[in-house]
Order: sequence, then C-alpha cells, then structure tokens
Amino acid sequence: MANRLLEVTDLEVAYGDVGALWGVSLHVDAGTIVSLVGANGAGKTTLLRTVSGLLKPKAGDVRLAGQSLVGKSPQEIARMGIAHVPEGRGLFRQMTVLENLELGAFQPKARPRTKELLDKAYALFPRLKERTHQKAGSLSGGEQQMLAIARATMSEPSLLILDEPSLGLSPLVVQQMFALIQTLHGQGVTILLVEQNIHQALKVADYAFVLQTGSLVMQGTGAELIADPEIQKAYMGVLE
Amino acid sequence: MNRALPWIAIVAVAALALLPFAPGAVDAYYFSFLFFVFLYAIMAQSWNLVAGYGGQISLGSHAFFGLGAYTTAILWTGNYLWGSLYDTYPNIYYFDPVTMALGGLVAAVAAALIGLPLLSKLRGDYFALGTLGFGEIVKVLFVNGGDFTGSAFGLVAPASSFDTLRPHYWVALGLMVATALAIRALMRSRYGLALIAVRDDEMAASANGIDVLKVKVAAFAGSAFIAGVAGSLYTFYIFHVGPDSVFDLDWMLLPLMMTVVGGTGTLLGPIIGALVMYAVFDLAKIVVPDYHPVISGLTIILAMLFLPKGLARLRAIPGKV
Amino acid sequence: MFNLPPPDILLQLSLNGALGGAMYGVAAVGLSLIFGTMRLIFLAQGAMIILAAYFVRALFYGLGIDPFLSLLIVVPVGLGVGWLLYQGLFRKAAAEADRNVSLLIAVGLMFLVQNLMTVIWGGNTAGVVTSYTASGIELLGVRTSFTRSMGFLIALAGTGLVMLFLRKTIVGKAVRAASEDMDAATLMGISPHRVNAIAFAIGISLAGAAGVAVATTFPFNPFAGFIFSLKALVALALGGIGNVTGALAGGILLGLIEAYVQFFISGGWTNAIAYGVFLLVLMFKPEGLFSRPYKKA
Repeated sequence: MANRLLEVTDLEVAYGDVGALWGVSLHVDAGTIVSLVGANGAGKTTLLRTVSGLLKPKAGDVRLAGQSLVGKSPQEIARMGIAHVPEGRGLFRQMTVLENLELGAFQPKARPRTKELLDKAYALFPRLKERTHQKAGSLSGGEQQMLAIARATMSEPSLLILDEPSLGLSPLVVQQMFALIQTLHGQGVTILLVEQNIHQALKVADYAFVLQTGSLVMQGTGAELIADPEIQKAYMGVLE
Repeated sequence: MNRALPWIAIVAVAALALLPFAPGAVDAYYFSFLFFVFLYAIMAQSWNLVAGYGGQISLGSHAFFGLGAYTTAILWTGNYLWGSLYDTYPNIYYFDPVTMALGGLVAAVAAALIGLPLLSKLRGDYFALGTLGFGEIVKVLFVNGGDFTGSAFGLVAPASSFDTLRPHYWVALGLMVATALAIRALMRSRYGLALIAVRDDEMAASANGIDVLKVKVAAFAGSAFIAGVAGSLYTFYIFHVGPDSVFDLDWMLLPLMMTVVGGTGTLLGPIIGALVMYAVFDLAKIVVPDYHPVISGLTIILAMLFLPKGLARLRAIPGKV
Repeated sequence: MFNLPPPDILLQLSLNGALGGAMYGVAAVGLSLIFGTMRLIFLAQGAMIILAAYFVRALFYGLGIDPFLSLLIVVPVGLGVGWLLYQGLFRKAAAEADRNVSLLIAVGLMFLVQNLMTVIWGGNTAGVVTSYTASGIELLGVRTSFTRSMGFLIALAGTGLVMLFLRKTIVGKAVRAASEDMDAATLMGISPHRVNAIAFAIGISLAGAAGVAVATTFPFNPFAGFIFSLKALVALALGGIGNVTGALAGGILLGLIEAYVQFFISGGWTNAIAYGVFLLVLMFKPEGLFSRPYKKA
C-alpha cells in the first residue's frame, strides 16, 4: 500500500435531517493528485468542508496521516497541515494581497518563516507580486484564484484542498490554473481537487472518485475514468 | 415529554392566574403582580411575533407601546379633539374596547409606515438598529408635542372609578389569552406558514411566490398592534402617561428578555418567560430590596448561559405551534 | 429666515461639537471591533465607560491619582477585564448560531453593571473636579476647555493605536480577517475565540480610555451609559459598521450635528435629528458615509 495521507471512512454528513453524504470512503496517497468529480449537489463540497472541520460528520472517520480529525475545529485541522481553498475562494477582499498571503502563514509552524515563504509564493505567482498592495477584492477572477491558492501554499500544507478552482474563469485562465496545479504537484504537494470541469480534472489526476447524490459510484485512475464510456456519457457530453 | 410540556405549563399558568382567588390571598398585591405578568406576556407575544416567528429582530417595541398609551390618554382626556368625551360618558372610556383597538391601530399604522421603508431596505442588525432609532425619534416627538401630548410631563387621565384591581386583572388576562389564541390561529394559517418560510429562507420563500416584504411588514404591524393595545391597557392602570415612563426602553428590553428566556418562536415561551422573569424581579425586590436590580441582570446572564434555548424548548421544530 | 452667526461662533460650535463627538467615536471604535468579529451589538459598552469613569474617580479621590495619569492603570485593567468578560460570559454564546443569546448577555451585563454602580456609589450624579477642570486653552483662535481637548486627544490616540495594531501586526490582521470572513479565517488556523477575546479586550480598554475622558469632562451617573451606547451605535452607523476610522469620524460628525441642532433649532430636538440622520444613513448608505461598500464575502 502506498503512503495513505488522507483516509475517509464511511463518512455520513447531514444538514439537519437532510442527508448529504451516505457512507463515503476515499483516500488520498501522499504526493498524488486526487480528483473528486460529480454533478452539482453530489456532495463534493460537503465532503471537503467536513474534512477541514467546517462541518461535523454524523458518522464515520477522517484521518490525516493516521490521526483522526473528527471533533477537531477547523483551525486545529489547518494547523495539522490541511490547507483548504473553499468554494468562492474565501479571500479577505478588503485586505491587500500581501496581507492575505501573510495570513496564509498565520499558524505558528509557518509564521516565523513568513518572509521566506512569501518569496517562494511570489516566485511561483509573479503576477501577485505586481499586485502586492492592492486589495484582494480588486483583482480579476483569475488573479483572485491564484491568490487563494498561493495563500494556501503559504502554510506548506501536507494536503492542499481545492474546491472548484476553475469556477467562473475564462478557458485560457483555466488552462493556466491546471498548469499551476501540475507545477505544485511537481513540487511534491499532495492535492485533493474538486472540479466541475471533469475532463481536465481527470486528466491531471493520479486517481479519482465519482460522487453521485451523496454516495461513491466509481473510482479508478484518471486515465481509466476518462476512457470509461459511462463517465463519458454522464459527465462529458460524449454522444454514443 | 415534549407533548406533555405545554399542558404542564398551561396548568401551572392557570393555577397562578387563579392565585388571587385563593382564600386568604392578599388581594391587591397578587392582582397587581399578575396584571404586570399578563401585560409583559402580551408585550412578549408582540415581540415574539415579529422576531421569533418572523425572524426580524425589532428593538422598537417601546415606541408602539407608547403610541398605544398616548392614543388612549389623548382620547381619554380628549382636550384637543372634541372636549373630553369622558366628561359626558364617564364609564364608557374605562377599558373601552374601541379606545384600546384605536391604540393598537395607531401603533400598527405607524409600524406599517415606518416598516415599509425600513424592511424594504434593511436586514438583520441594520433593521434592529433602525427600529431602535425610530423609537428614540418617536419619544422626542412626544416630548416636543406641546399641549397635545403634554410635553415632557405627559398627560394625566381622570382618576380611577375603581377601588380594586380586579377589572384590570380580568381585562389583562383576557387580552393575554386572546393574544395567544390569535397568534396560534395566525401561525396555523397560510399567513403563518408564509411568515415561517420567510424567516427560514427568504430567497426560497420569494421563489415560491410569497411577497416577502408584505409578509414582513404585516408581521411588524401586527406586532405593533399588540404592543399598542398593551400600552392602552397600561394607561388604564397608571393614568399618567409621560414620555419617560411609556417610552422607557424597559418596555422593549424586558419583553425581549422574557421571550428569549421562555423560548423564542414558541407560543407558550413568552408567557412562561414573563411569569418567571417578573416573579424573579419582584421577589428580588422584596427579599433584597437594595440589590434587586443587580439580581435582575444576573438572572438574565445566568439564564442565557445555561438555558440559551429558553424554557419552552420547542423551538427546534420550525413552524410547529 | 435666520442670520448666519459670526464665523467665530460657528468655529466655537464646530470645535465643541467635534471634541464632544470624539468620545462617541472612541466608544464606537470599541463597538466596531466587537461587532466585527462577533456580530454582536455590545449594548453594555456605555455602562462599561461609566464604570471606568467611576473607577477613575475612585482612584482620584481615594489615592490621589491624576485622572489623566490613571490612563496607565485603566487601559491595562480594561484589557484584562475585556479578556475575562469574553472568556467568562461570551465564549459559550459566541459558538451559538442564535446571536440573540450574546445580545441578551450584553443586556444582562448592562443591567448588572449599572445597578452595581448604584449600589456602590449611589444613583446621584458624580464628577471629578481637579485643579484644571475649569481651565481653558486657545485652539484655532477659539478658547475651549482643556479637559475636552484632552478627551479628544485620548480618542485620537486610542483610535490611532487600534489602527496600528490592526494594520501592522499579524494578530491585528487576523482580527480584521475574522471580521471579514470567520470561516475563511479559521481555515488559516485562526481561532475564533482568540480573535473574539482580543476584540473584547481592546473594546473594553477603549471603554476605559473613554471613561477617563468622560470623568474629566462630564458629570455622570450609573444610568448615563445606555444613551452613550446608543450614541456610539449612531456614530458606528454613520461611519460604516466594521470601519474603525469611520467610527471615530462618525462620532465627530454626530457631535457636530448635535452642536448645530442645539444652537440653530433647540436642545429638545437634538436626539430626534441625530436618530433621523441615523435612519437615513442606514437606509440610503448602510455602508456608512466614510467607507467603501461593506460586503460580506
């Protein structure tokens, strides 16, 4: 068995009495990109929010490098090494690019090395360096997404969670985004990716899971799933 | 247990309501004590309608209470309208249902007039702050109202023709029960469902064809009507209506507190809350007269720390009355 | 209709209004911080200011400590009291989705503090009279009260320090981040309880500073705090909820409005007009007069 970084077992989540996830199990191996795909409302965002502690599971377990995350607060989970770029990016729009990045390194482990991490982030995202003192809210959609990802890398996370990074971006910027994801992967960052853009998501993924109305319906390597006729029919609009 | 709870509460409230009729009970004290419990329960129901069921936190109840009180006093003394009708028909104007209804109506009209712009523009905390500001403005208007409102001193109604508080007791009890029944009927009607829908998810309610603004303004005006009637009731008890007494913020803060302690968004919560909180305040007044206001503050804090969902813990079931 | 008064009177009015309004402003800055992270309208702020004023008075008459010197005691004590208040009273309620619980604890605290003060110091109006209470200074060619000017400086310095903290330190930035989006802040590893406690500590220490200003300029009584809270809320809305410098500016503006209304119309209408402006601002410029649109992400 490869090195299991994240292990989700029989996870059940509900909003009040309304179930959202019904016994989902999945795993992310260290150093890989794992994509989680599915239609709108399949429960992808719910799963990510449960992993990072924003939602409490009804049953099941989430483990990061063997340690259970259940019952821990989001800030504790962040300190344990998960960086979550939420849907909608979660930027502090009234604050500058620099301040957003500094807050990415807020946790005690990273804070003393803020300067060094900042240089690293700017090297990877030169556009952000030009915008250092601009308000995050004034950036373009693509730049905002870059900033959100850059901010997440500031804590040198063991697991980077990206929720719909391509949402609302132009095709060209989406291409840049996926190139960036692969660059990060090349640097050894482990990534759990949720995407509506299923073709792209499967292309970059080492392994992928398909979620449908709160349950896991399929899994396999990215290449296997791309080739799967069911997937092609259901999600990629390929006609028979 | 949840099914039995309302009945236990009803029986307890009924038993307490009948307390003054127990042999040997001190008539005047119990009657005035219960009069205030009922009065606060009506005010608490008023706040609960707009805030508990409607989800719009209003901090302006005292304005509507005061409007009802002043309307009653102005009609009662009537100097500037038609000469005092009271002189001609001295007994009609005591607990006169028309006067009380007018007190409620004036408050409701004021609420509709101010609620329309406020509720169409403001949400949440901003609405709460807006109603607070409105309350202060109304107060200043009455202080500066000249002879019509009696200015800073206010108006004094003709003295009581009753030598007992029994009529006050019965009227207050009747109004409290009527208010509770009216709200119960309302919340079981289509309008009540719409109100809950707006509270829980405005967007979804609007998507389902509910006129959100209309529903909110109606709840605000309905709540003001109840508060206005309560203000009218108070005028028949106190005779002297002054800006500092009837526009006192306590008329907003205490009912709010009672509702939350009793259970927001429940039918019995406001009544239980009014009874428990007023009893605590009154008891503290007797037992530790020097410190009683301190005890009130402490009670609120403790209640909120340990009973944040209120005594009538039924609020988790939306729409159920 | 009426003639404009001579410019020196206008200047005098403006100066007095601005100096008095700065005190609403500093109270509003505290409210703004607490509202920012906790979404709580801390109605007890005014009562805390009056409590601080009584404390300053006790230090002066009991130990002979100069009121302005007592800032060195009141401000750190305020920090500690604020921290303890959060941990003891608001920590649990802050986690509740129902924000009425926190609001009511604040109301309970207000009752408690008001009445404790009445029990300890009596309900009568009190004040602090020092050798310089009646002295005046020349400002912009207009004579004005020394203590009011000092109060203004305290407000300015307090707001300035808070701004520095929020803009220059990482913890201050965390407080701002939490005010903007608490969920996103927790994903950065920021603990809500920590930023809430910091906001509370600073808010109460500002109440302490305002207490010094109030004690030296106005006569006060245990129940004067609530109207102060209301005025601070108006200042907050004028300046834009969640905007610290705006809160101070809003306070000064409110002071000016009050001074002008009192002079040109009548003292009886000041509150109505102040709240009228408040309602208009809430309805037509809810982000405040001095800020960019306030949007929750």
